[in-house]
Amino acid sequence: MPERPRAYKTEGIILRRRNLGEADSIFTVLSPRQGKFDAIAKGVRKPRSRMRGHLEPLTRSRLLLARGRSLDVFTQAETITPYRAIRDDLERSATALYCAELADRFTIEHADNPGLYELMLAVLEALDLGAPPGPTARYFELQILSLMGYELQLDCCAACRGRLEPVETLLSPSAGGLVCERCRAKAGAGRLLGVRAIKVLRYARNVDIAAFGEVRIDAVLANELEVAMAGVVSHFLEREPRSRHFVEAVAALPGRPNALAPEIVRSDQGP
Amino acid sequence: MAEGAGGTPEPIGRLIDEFHRLPGIGPKSAQRLAYHILRVPERDALALAEAIGDVKRRIIFCSSCLNITESDPCSFCQDQRRDRTIICVVEQPLDILAIERSGSFRGLYHVLHGLLNPMDGVGPEDLHIRELVERVRAGEVTEIIMATNPSLEGEATAMYVQRLLAPAGVRVTRLARGLPSGADLEYADDITLARALEGRQEL
Repeated sequence: MPERPRAYKTEGIILRRRNLGEADSIFTVLSPRQGKFDAIAKGVRKPRSRMRGHLEPLTRSRLLLARGRSLDVFTQAETITPYRAIRDDLERSATALYCAELADRFTIEHADNPGLYELMLAVLEALDLGAPPGPTARYFELQILSLMGYELQLDCCAACRGRLEPVETLLSPSAGGLVCERCRAKAGAGRLLGVRAIKVLRYARNVDIAAFGEVRIDAVLANELEVAMAGVVSHFLEREPRSRHFVEAVAALPGRPNALAPEIVRSDQGP
Repeated sequence: MAEGAGGTPEPIGRLIDEFHRLPGIGPKSAQRLAYHILRVPERDALALAEAIGDVKRRIIFCSSCLNITESDPCSFCQDQRRDRTIICVVEQPLDILAIERSGSFRGLYHVLHGLLNPMDGVGPEDLHIRELVERVRAGEVTEIIMATNPSLEGEATAMYVQRLLAPAGVRVTRLARGLPSGADLEYADDITLARALEGRQEL
């Protein structure tokens, strides 16, 4: 095996930060070619640190790293996109952090996954441009499940492969997707999804995030999707994502700004 | 058992373990500290033990601002010369010292004892936000200054508190963000520079 170079460059999205010792931090980075990895930034918590602002979570940065014995060490960092509009908005920060947590928890270190990097970038960019947080999170959940090999079966019954009638249908995480009425008894727990919700999920699976952003989802439908997908994500993650609680706490705040909330319109754009 | 693994007497081993639990202390530093304690006069070593005991026994949280104090309410909350209509909200008691050093603030404080950190599971109920809301509801306060760090967690905490207090009609402000003294423009990040430009002032 050829010797790896001592220093290397990559771009990456900072997923999270943990403090280490007096002035150092460990950052978890999602990169296009090396997947997720942890690296140390020395002295980054001192006020005059040159890297501090370039390594904030949810920042896309150009990074220079030196190979370390256990963890690599950041030697330079420069912001590519700071996603300021996300930072300045509580709902969008909460959703972006939730997506970052899923990206962190669904992956193992150094497992190359360019698709996930593209997805994370697309979601951050959409949120930064004002995409509604709820539907954007649903899009991310559905897509990351596919990328991790847990693609939901939405076209036929996940148990018997039979045809699905256009009626309320069970979404069962343990069966791996929608389950027809006859198989419902033997499928595991799940949520019943209405026809509108199923159409939205099918549509989200097949289009890019910009097209999905055009779909108008009312509050009832958004809630139906959120609850159903929360069950699916927790099932495959085998735990509850920690940041979900924060997303809920933010949603419960008084004076939720309505400027970004989608209008109440039927989603008739699905296939 | 008189001796632990590797022939270290049990009391030393225990002290090493205790030091090792402190933040930033690795196994080697823990050993060095433990052997240092062994060498210093008994009086000095007991003074350290007593100081640790006192901190745990005598320091309490101020029932109003949650700062650490020996007497409740704390000296800031007791001081009648301080402006009782402004509350500066900080992450930890150390931040109060920093702000006091600046000599530019004469109001009261409120210590949250942490920042919202969704990915580590630190939510609003883990911080002392409820107590702040109660202080605002009591009526005397007209301005809340959010002096949390300008990090993602600090900003999220500030925005969360601002939204929570919005119905109370109190003015919520945020510390200005910009370049620290002695900084290099060349290395400043985009957000800091953008905010520094927005907050520019006439010379």
